[in-house]
Amino acid sequence: MIPAPEEIVLAGPAGWLWLAAAGTLILAAIAPLASRRLASIGALLSTGAGLSILGFGIVVLIGGGTYTAEWGQVLGLAPIALHYDGLSAVFLVALGLTSAAASLTVVGRPVRSRVEASAYPLFLASMLLVLGARDAFSFLLAWELMALLSALLVVGLRPTRSVVSAGYLYLAMTHVATAALLVAFALLATGSGGALDFVAWRGAAPSLSPMVHDAVFVLAFLGFGTKAGTLPLHAWLPRAHPVAPSHVSALMSGVMIKTGIYGLVRILVDVLGGGPDWWGVAILVAGAFSAVLGVLYALMQHDLKRLLAFHSIENIGIILLGLGAAIILAAHDQDALAAMALTAALFHSINHAVFKSLLFLGAGAVLAATGLRDLNRLGGLARAMPVTALAFGIGAAAISGLPPFNGFASEWLVFQGLLGAAGSTPVPPLERMGAGLAIGALALTSALAVACFVKATGVTFLGLPRSSAAADAHDVGRPARLALTLLAAACVALGLGAGPAVAALTRVAATLIPPGSAAVTATVSAAPAAGPAATYAALAIGLLLVPAVAFAVFALRRAGSARRVDTWTCGIAPQPAFQYNATSFAKPIRLFFGRLLLPEREIHIEYHPGTPFPLAMRYRSEVTLILEDRVFRPAHALSVRFAELVRRVQSGSLQLYLAYTVGAVLVLLWWAR
Amino acid sequence: MSGAAALVDLALAVLQLGLFLAVAPLLAGTMKRTKARFQGRRGPTLVQPYRDLAKWWSKRPLASSTTGPVARHAPAVVFGAFVVAALLVPFAAGRPPLAGWGDLFVVIGLLATARFVLALAALDAGSAFGGMGSSRDVAISALAEPGLVLALAGAALAAGSSDLGTISLFGLREGVGLLGPSHLLAAVAFGIIVVAETGHHPVDNPDTHLELTMIHEGMLLEASGRSLALLVFASELKLVLLAALFAAAFLPFGAATELAPLPLLLGLGIGLVKVFLIGQGLALLDATVAKARILALPDLLGLASLLALTGLGARLLLVP
Repeated sequence: MIPAPEEIVLAGPAGWLWLAAAGTLILAAIAPLASRRLASIGALLSTGAGLSILGFGIVVLIGGGTYTAEWGQVLGLAPIALHYDGLSAVFLVALGLTSAAASLTVVGRPVRSRVEASAYPLFLASMLLVLGARDAFSFLLAWELMALLSALLVVGLRPTRSVVSAGYLYLAMTHVATAALLVAFALLATGSGGALDFVAWRGAAPSLSPMVHDAVFVLAFLGFGTKAGTLPLHAWLPRAHPVAPSHVSALMSGVMIKTGIYGLVRILVDVLGGGPDWWGVAILVAGAFSAVLGVLYALMQHDLKRLLAFHSIENIGIILLGLGAAIILAAHDQDALAAMALTAALFHSINHAVFKSLLFLGAGAVLAATGLRDLNRLGGLARAMPVTALAFGIGAAAISGLPPFNGFASEWLVFQGLLGAAGSTPVPPLERMGAGLAIGALALTSALAVACFVKATGVTFLGLPRSSAAADAHDVGRPARLALTLLAAACVALGLGAGPAVAALTRVAATLIPPGSAAVTATVSAAPAAGPAATYAALAIGLLLVPAVAFAVFALRRAGSARRVDTWTCGIAPQPAFQYNATSFAKPIRLFFGRLLLPEREIHIEYHPGTPFPLAMRYRSEVTLILEDRVFRPAHALSVRFAELVRRVQSGSLQLYLAYTVGAVLVLLWWAR
Repeated sequence: MSGAAALVDLALAVLQLGLFLAVAPLLAGTMKRTKARFQGRRGPTLVQPYRDLAKWWSKRPLASSTTGPVARHAPAVVFGAFVVAALLVPFAAGRPPLAGWGDLFVVIGLLATARFVLALAALDAGSAFGGMGSSRDVAISALAEPGLVLALAGAALAAGSSDLGTISLFGLREGVGLLGPSHLLAAVAFGIIVVAETGHHPVDNPDTHLELTMIHEGMLLEASGRSLALLVFASELKLVLLAALFAAAFLPFGAATELAPLPLLLGLGIGLVKVFLIGQGLALLDATVAKARILALPDLLGLASLLALTGLGARLLLVP
């Protein structure tokens, strides 16, 4: 129950856009409750709300202003205060684009349940609130709302056993995270005389002791890192994302985990004003491990959505590499470079939202068309679903960090941020070497991402279909195709228009890390720039690729139509089983990284009696998730065993408790003798 | 930028691209010749690669009935990406023809774009060989990438920028002083990567069509006619490109520091010699070293990454 606004400074067009978004989201939540037939109207309203949020984000980002709203006591506790600034706007753009496209895909699709259809717009609204919350109370309220609604959307109303277990894990981890945040916020509030306002915290931050700063860092990293899915706090992510409906996965992976990044930047950089360089090193290490292990485990998956979920861990790692470099550089007063590294992290956050939601919606389209998520039963879908295939391919190229798409532009900036950290003499040598190692990790990550997305795209869309469901697929409906096209166009637009986008984000980064020195840093621009600093002229390179490729296409066309023949398979008629599938495609990498992945395989062959000819073969292959299987599971088993020991002490028998008391008194007497 | 300078840039770009395209098959021819001599054969004439390209160019293509737009357009994208990358690498002068367009990461990115598209196209026909080549190629490139980036990052750290022109001009300014331990380690690392990326012994055998050992050739198996011509031409161009990149980052000596006709011509000649010598080195490897088992490759490519990292360590930790 929200009382009437007491003070709204959401003036001007941006204010109207915010109100429009909030209003449509409430209507969208009511519509499916009113009637099942109105569910599509609700989805359309959510799409409209997404576009309003996108507009709002762009206005705030370009206009550079801030927008504030405040409501009186909610539930008699504390006022709700919203305050959108440039940093919020970066994530608002991601939220707007993703939610508009994701909502569009469910238009016209039968709803699973009306409660879920109604919870979905509220989930969007909760993220809108998280990005604007200005004080601890509003933030935690919105944060908790977001966690609960997303858990509801993951689990649904009629879940299977495995879905429930994924949902429990998610709920448990997200609440441990919230607890950590609660303590961090309590520390900050005590340090600033009981104020809950972020602005007051920022004012009081310089007077806090370094110990408090460090404690807040550790707690915030635990809290926000869990939400972001960074290693080693990632366990919930690859379980929860695949079981959620695809449009929800798109939002969770595209935006919700990004609120963890938003929180880190807000608290560490904005409120605390940066910190000692070990914070940056810790973030860098977590980022490097998340990136490399995320992509390696992604390569080992043959469930398309699980593969994409592991890639979210990878990309969060890349974002953290940028953030870590920024904090290290800022700790040593390299402000211009630090702002560039922070820009890289922000830009990759937007880009990842765009291409990851595109890929999840593409996987959703495949799931809708075939009922399959298993890559090893897909294949050849490009013929039946050309639009989906093209859009997915563009998303795959973008996430693999290939020019001229958007993923490359932000990875390029992350590389420059790390190179800046490795090359700055005020930074101590060990930290510089750490940045150098991170460069290697990022290079490995992006090359493995290429491998993974050749696999995901090729096995799904090219070759021959591996099952009858894949052979009989039809492309998804027009709204879903429109959504995919929209996001694919955004990948291209943010790639070619990386120059202006980076310029806008640099302004945001400069408000968080004010550039003290006017050092020349590497830049992404539209047009080529002369000078010794590195440049990526995104638009120019993209435009140059067009004639270079077009000329060759023209030459190929001139050769006339090709004679069609069967694929050469050593004289046997081609069969789908001859093709490499997801498991065999990843085999070289599985073997190359065997010490890390610890692959296991089992082959069962039955022979025709008395002959060496095989009758039936079974193959099973699995990799070990080192952290889950070798660390968390034993730790969990140990904690359960310990709990059982404790239970033996706590038997509930009165005589035993009396004996404990007598024993304790005796011990005390002996001790105080 | 004034009109005259832009015109000089344009002329340099056309010249460099034309030269790269013209000598790429010749380089392949000389390498084939060297290899044949080592094997006690006379070998084909130096113009044989041109003849092959011309032959494929005029043939009517065959295409697998399974393939679609990806396989049809992939050769153009691969070729186009290499053409753009070729303009970003300094060759005759210390600066690339398209100075300020993109740095070493852009060149590496364009190579990755070409690899992505080619590996994807190899899966289009639905043959086991295409998948085999594709899966091995992306796996080996994944192992090679850290070494490639770290070696160049070392050069970039020395020069203070990842811009290839800046790196090359820094090397020219430093002269022999450039050849410190970290530089040499990075150069060796990059050399190993060039072997892997261009598919020579001990990583891949460019001449084999034995199914089980093919990597790069496996991906071209379903290509024919102009598609095949473009892909083979592109891989010949890639060799020139990587050799030029090696020279620009690690052996820039002889390149022109100013855009005057005589130094440029000299730089051009010296650049060609460098590319030719690197090609002969690769041919020598093909002739004298056995192809390694694919499972032994992580050791070799891991060595490259380790050397590059050691070079980086020597630069960052030892020198104050």
